[in-house]
Amino acid sequence: MGIKMKENRLKRELGLLHTTMMGIGGAICAGVFVTLGYAATLAGTALIIAMILCGTINLFTMLSYAELGAALPSAGGEYTFAKVSFGGFLSFATGWFEWISNMFYAAFSAVGFAYLISYIVPAINVPLVAVLIVALFTGINIKGVKETGLTQTALVLILLALLGIFIFWGFYTTQGAAPLTIEAPGGFLGVLKASAFIFVVYLGGESIAVAQAEIKDPRKNIPRAILLTCFALIFIYTTIAFVIFKIAPPESLAGQSSPLAYVAEQLMGPLGLGIITIAGIIAALSSVNTSTMAHSRVAYALARDGYFPKSFFSLHGRFSTPFIAILIGSVFTAAVAATGIVNFVTYATDFGFIIGFIFVNLSLMRLRRDKPSLYRPFKVPFYPLTPILGIATSLLLLFFLDPGTLLIGLELFIFGIIAYYIRMVGYFRIYNAFGGINFGISAFSALLAYLIMSNSTMIPLTRDAQLLFFVVAVLVSIVYLGAGLLNITKKHE
Amino acid sequence: MGKARKAMSWIAGGIQVTLGALAAVVAFLIHTNASLQETLAISFQEVYLYMLLLLVFGTFSIISGLLLVHRENNGN
Repeated sequence: MGIKMKENRLKRELGLLHTTMMGIGGAICAGVFVTLGYAATLAGTALIIAMILCGTINLFTMLSYAELGAALPSAGGEYTFAKVSFGGFLSFATGWFEWISNMFYAAFSAVGFAYLISYIVPAINVPLVAVLIVALFTGINIKGVKETGLTQTALVLILLALLGIFIFWGFYTTQGAAPLTIEAPGGFLGVLKASAFIFVVYLGGESIAVAQAEIKDPRKNIPRAILLTCFALIFIYTTIAFVIFKIAPPESLAGQSSPLAYVAEQLMGPLGLGIITIAGIIAALSSVNTSTMAHSRVAYALARDGYFPKSFFSLHGRFSTPFIAILIGSVFTAAVAATGIVNFVTYATDFGFIIGFIFVNLSLMRLRRDKPSLYRPFKVPFYPLTPILGIATSLLLLFFLDPGTLLIGLELFIFGIIAYYIRMVGYFRIYNAFGGINFGISAFSALLAYLIMSNSTMIPLTRDAQLLFFVVAVLVSIVYLGAGLLNITKKHE
Repeated sequence: MGKARKAMSWIAGGIQVTLGALAAVVAFLIHTNASLQETLAISFQEVYLYMLLLLVFGTFSIISGLLLVHRENNGN
């Protein structure tokens, strides 16, 4: 076969049920409770079609996950696929985005949980509760993968039961019984825009691939769990959208902070509001649980291959979990959750996940070409059409992302390049490179200081602002000149 | 000489990290604060360009400052 990953010391303790719950729980996040209102204004009642469309787009790539996951069941998910297919920087970049995205996703879910709790107990401190919940799931994840899987299964089963009550009540009520007609006020473009906007509710199912080194009988269970997750999500979201439009017209959802809670209250009174609020809390908790597991396994795999410090690869003596990877990732998650800028930063998760989708499909195509004899217990149907559609639809989604999202993605990419080169190239060359850039910044700042004082910047600034910018430019010029000299003058030892 | 060099590295590295963090905060404020955009005469189309420049500068400064301090502490 020619493809072997290094030793895998993680315990295989997750069965089909736990694995499927991991996928469903990873995807049903707080997003579904808040995004449907704006999506309904874009697509009207055709949001039901947008839900099916998104599910189908998700399925294209998830089929690739199923094939690769069953063929290469080692820790790391997308990163591992990219490593076997491409290696080098491309695989590192995939793992990097995956690691960062999952930590931000965990922070976002923890803050979402704290906000939902604050509706019930307004006096609580939101950042503190978010940090505490990250700490709780850090403990559960360190304790063992079995505990993580059991917690996830319990949370998702309660979540599905609550959503099930809402859906069945909606189907059997006579309230708003006028026949539902599918109308798209913005036409097909509106449906596409709504699809890009709500696609986030399908993200998270790929956490199955990240945990694949801990799944029992992976060659059977990984494809089955991924496909079950995909179809379950399409069914759940489509029926939720159907119930929503049965009860409330699309235009009434626009200004609602939680359209789902609004419809539940219309449908079932305070009981409905309570059910959906609790469901939101549980969804947020299960997302924190899944993302904590996901980011630690990616860091573990990156350390296995020498990209991250070796300590990330160490397992707890008693629990056999990558406790250092869990702890360090959770500290970062808690720090992000405590800052309160999560909404701004969390857009990066979309970018990271979509980039991951593209690399998974590319990895599939590359492996089919380079390793045709690799044993594949599951094969993507209609190859190569399916992965090509997966790549095309992922690129389409990138175009619809907010420019700020792309910018944050680019910033994370730059961080990744620097981290990669520091790790791979060695410190000596890095110091020289940084010394050169410091000189460049110093010269540029000196020029800027001159332009500011000679009024040549074309920006109408007040005298005080001009003085402030001049002082900053001179300070930067001097400090960076000094830093550049310090960087290049010390001899390599 | 060694002590002076170490002190200079700490000062330069510390200022670089501080400037980098400030650049990141200014980038965030430019994105969210309309009155700051007006004061600095930044049009809506230019906001992301300024953010990109500040974030790249901030990232570089923080890493450069940390490397400088790390090198002096570890001597590698």
